[in-house]
Amino acid sequence: MKIYESSVKKPVTTAIIFVAIVVLGLFSLSKLSIDMLPEIEMNQAIVLVTYPGASAEDVENNVSKVLESTLSTVSDLKKIQSTSKENTAVISVEFNWGTDIDAGVNDMRDKIEMVKSHLPDGCSNPIIMKLSTDMMPVAIYSATSRESSDALYKILEDGVANPLNRISGVGSVSISGAPQREISINVDPQKLEAYHLTIEQIGAAIAKENVNTPGGSIDIGSETYSLRIEGEMKESDLLNNIVVSNYGGRAVFLKDIAIVRDSVQEKAQESYVNGEKGATIVVQKQSGANSVDVVKQIREQLPIIQKSLPQDIEFVEVMNATDNIENSITSLVQTVLLAFLFVTIVVIFFLGQWRASVIIMLTIPISLISAFIYLQLTGNTLNIISLSALSIAIGMVVDDAIVVLENITTHIERGARPREAAIYGTNEVGVAVIATTLTLLAVFLPFTMMGGMAGIIFAQLGWIVSIVIAVSTLSALTLTPMLSSLLLKKEKNTGSTFDKLYAPIKRGLDKLDVQYSKILTWVVRHKTFTIATGFIIFAASITLMFRIGTEFIPASDNGQISGNFQLPVGANVERSKEIAIRFEKSINEKYPEIKTLSYTIGIPSEDDNNAWAQMQSSGTNYVSFRIKLHKLKERKRDMFEISEGLRTELESYPELYKFKVNAGGGDGTTSGSVVDIEILGYDFETTENIAADIKVKMENIKGFRNVAISREDYIPQYQIEFDREKLALNDLNVATASAFIRNRMNGMIASLFREDGEEYKIKVRYDKASRESIEDIENIAIFNPSGKSVRLNEVAKVVERFAPPSIERQDRERIIKVSATLYGETLDKVTKNIQAEIDKMDIPSNIGIQIGGTIEEQQESFADMGLLSLLIIMMVYFVMAAQFESLFYPFIIMIAIPFAITGVLVSLFVTGGTINMMSAIGSIMLIGIVVKNGIVLVDYINLNRERGMNINSAVIDGGKSRLRPVLMTTATTVLGMIPMAYGLGEGSEIWQPMGVVIVGGLTISTVVTLVIIPALYGAFASREVKSNRKKHRLKLNSRQIKA
Amino acid sequence: MKMKAAFIAYNQAHVEDVDDILSQLSIRGFTRWTDIQGRGSDDGEPHLGTHAWPSKNMATLCIVHENIAPILKKRIQALDLEAPEQGLRVFFWDVVDV
Repeated sequence: MKIYESSVKKPVTTAIIFVAIVVLGLFSLSKLSIDMLPEIEMNQAIVLVTYPGASAEDVENNVSKVLESTLSTVSDLKKIQSTSKENTAVISVEFNWGTDIDAGVNDMRDKIEMVKSHLPDGCSNPIIMKLSTDMMPVAIYSATSRESSDALYKILEDGVANPLNRISGVGSVSISGAPQREISINVDPQKLEAYHLTIEQIGAAIAKENVNTPGGSIDIGSETYSLRIEGEMKESDLLNNIVVSNYGGRAVFLKDIAIVRDSVQEKAQESYVNGEKGATIVVQKQSGANSVDVVKQIREQLPIIQKSLPQDIEFVEVMNATDNIENSITSLVQTVLLAFLFVTIVVIFFLGQWRASVIIMLTIPISLISAFIYLQLTGNTLNIISLSALSIAIGMVVDDAIVVLENITTHIERGARPREAAIYGTNEVGVAVIATTLTLLAVFLPFTMMGGMAGIIFAQLGWIVSIVIAVSTLSALTLTPMLSSLLLKKEKNTGSTFDKLYAPIKRGLDKLDVQYSKILTWVVRHKTFTIATGFIIFAASITLMFRIGTEFIPASDNGQISGNFQLPVGANVERSKEIAIRFEKSINEKYPEIKTLSYTIGIPSEDDNNAWAQMQSSGTNYVSFRIKLHKLKERKRDMFEISEGLRTELESYPELYKFKVNAGGGDGTTSGSVVDIEILGYDFETTENIAADIKVKMENIKGFRNVAISREDYIPQYQIEFDREKLALNDLNVATASAFIRNRMNGMIASLFREDGEEYKIKVRYDKASRESIEDIENIAIFNPSGKSVRLNEVAKVVERFAPPSIERQDRERIIKVSATLYGETLDKVTKNIQAEIDKMDIPSNIGIQIGGTIEEQQESFADMGLLSLLIIMMVYFVMAAQFESLFYPFIIMIAIPFAITGVLVSLFVTGGTINMMSAIGSIMLIGIVVKNGIVLVDYINLNRERGMNINSAVIDGGKSRLRPVLMTTATTVLGMIPMAYGLGEGSEIWQPMGVVIVGGLTISTVVTLVIIPALYGAFASREVKSNRKKHRLKLNSRQIKA
Repeated sequence: MKMKAAFIAYNQAHVEDVDDILSQLSIRGFTRWTDIQGRGSDDGEPHLGTHAWPSKNMATLCIVHENIAPILKKRIQALDLEAPEQGLRVFFWDVVDV
């Protein structure tokens, strides 16, 4: 028994199966969490090494180079980059897409293990981290307080960070901008010398005093007692009374030579939110946790947490990663619902029967809901990709049901009973329905095989559309006949209100049929003219290609702006603060759209174990800010406009040395396009000059914004140059001597002070007054192993020099990037312009220049997509060739594809869109969608010929009878896409191009193919007939001759 | 009692209607062929199960009393008139022996 027969004969079973699908789907939906994009396994890992006290160049030579050369042997490596900064080296390794990142990271770990011993002493253990989207903070809060500001760190750590950390899914909570407690022992160098002491001795003395030691156990009588020596200080005050040495028979106490201060760190970053000073709390999620869920829980917890804190502490949300997600999802859900409404209208319009319409509309929720089961089973989320997949599918899922229902209705009208009509009507079109589904699967299944970043995103789209369409076909072959057998009536009851309302529409549709057959009659007589006109239209549209730009992923307005500005190097925190306050005041007046503005000044403390803060640029002259705008609906200007305004604002400050404004809040990688001009070469000066040249040129090219050179400005530093001979004479070496300087200036961590289960550092160094001039440095006394002291200026010179704060390398060569973001221009145009400028430059042969950034990824992805469309075209051809059992008819049908391209170009040109990832993906989908019309048309013309009609009447009659199904399926798809193309709400900029090209491409290709396919069919079929006749005649002739 | 053989050839979609007529006339015995092909002599749609003519025929052979035969003929013809394109036919023979 065939599947449709059993489904009609067992309506209960059929109904139950689909009810079960819906129930399971809804259950899955309730479990699904939402996110922006499908989880992207990033292909990057970073290695972080700290080398305290080393300059950028030292770090480069001793750490970065060593690690780079060993890491470059890791397999599947794509790119290796490093940044060497003062104190830290960050080496980032990029793998080819699709590489198993865990295996790669293990490989890296093995390789690093091998060279670890070659790293200089004092280097920290290399930390290897997989870079993923999880690294980005999910939320940033700012805590402000008036009274409790000194204790803020402790309050926040105990009262906020710890409770938040307990929330499942929260990865790390770090606090910056609040100084941490530290016990500093500020030693007076004069007294030190008077007592013949060194910082090292004091440190050692403190370390020796501040210990707890287990002393074993002792048996007394029949009992065993453990022995314990509790030497640790119970209070920081007690440190004062430590005896550090004996001098002239008298004990020297610590208080005699130093001041013990139990306070906060000397230097810390300062953060301000809406003008108030506060601390920043950065929350990162655990990898794999859902950001929306995490932020939701944090929001629930915060008010509870706040109750337990001192009253003056207030929280402000500076940034969160989820508002935008929620808004995007909401607007996509609206898009899907609107599409559903439009499709319903189309179905009722064309069918004119409400029962039939209900049967067809039921297919939509059933097939769409089945997608949720897939998402839940594969552990995916409801994201903009899965939802736009649903939006794409909504117009296509009804097609199969329409075809089946139409045939069943025909049978009923011919007199069959609904039950029989349902079985045999479905039987007749079953193969055709499966074939059209196969062409769609031929398009969407290859999506799941795409490589690169695009592959990760669109694999999900491919799966969802494939699954939804497969389910809709299943439903069309089982549920639709079953419901038709129950709901459709043999006698049509005329005269109802609905029929009266529908009558004019019916007349209009009938008139359209007649008109179309008239056009077709004309067309079959003027085939050459029609085909020629078609090709002229296509050729003309191709010229539009040169007027449409390309970009990678369209930027979307997420209401967040970040940026920074710098004063000339050496400016202190106070001057930076002054500008920041002025900036804040001015933009708050000009842009009421700003909801919160927060900014950070200064360097994060080196003790912060805050990977996030370490990776950000900072400096006393450096102010970084973050702006959150009000909701899109509540403001007039968009993010890009405001960003542009901020740039003009910052330009008007003559004090500023440079600035950067990023619309979207990211580093420009997540939204919009970035162009990097990469200059590779060893010599700092040459590469810098070239970079400066290129920067000027880029600034003059229209469309570039935020042009910046990646190498930061040289910072002034005092370098101590030892005279090695003199050192040797004094029985010293550079390492020992440098340690002396470091301990005095930077301080040495002597021990840890414990209180209430917390540990605080005890830092010994010169008091501040003795750390303020070059003389102070020169006067440092260095002791050799035999105890003889020598002044620094006797063995070394202190020279002022400028050094780059960071050195970037890529693929084991030094690199400077001149990068820029785009505004109002497309990527390909500006790239072409800058390339022309670079070609004109005179560049030494040992310097390499290449263009990277988004353009690189764009080219890769577009190449991928080119290959993909080729694959898809072939697959579609194969399916059709099998269906028509002909190698020839598929070509006629595929003539629709060039006209789809015409439609894509025209729609992009009219809407001012660009060729980007989304519009390209939309165009690829079109391949499968537009051939459907041709299949329906050619199939029926063939059928007419098999029934004995001549070519022309077969074409005209076939066209006339298939016009409505073609228009109906096209209209459902087009109208289903219109909400998407129109772009509802936040984040719609991303998926809008996809909708635009499908609407444009499908509309134009349908209109053109309705005319040109009949013409082409006529032309080719009559040639075929003629050549057959010729063959036949030859055969006859040869027989006659034989006879 | 004279018996007649009635051979009913019809579009398979009419199977229920034909069955109804038979049961209304209390004709219990029958032999049926499913999935067969057929075409009318003059006009109407062929039932060939091909791409061009996807529908198929069925045929039922039943031996009926000669009194029943005319009623059966009338019923079947009435059904045929409802959808003449479908080509519903009944043919009778005399049954020589049972």
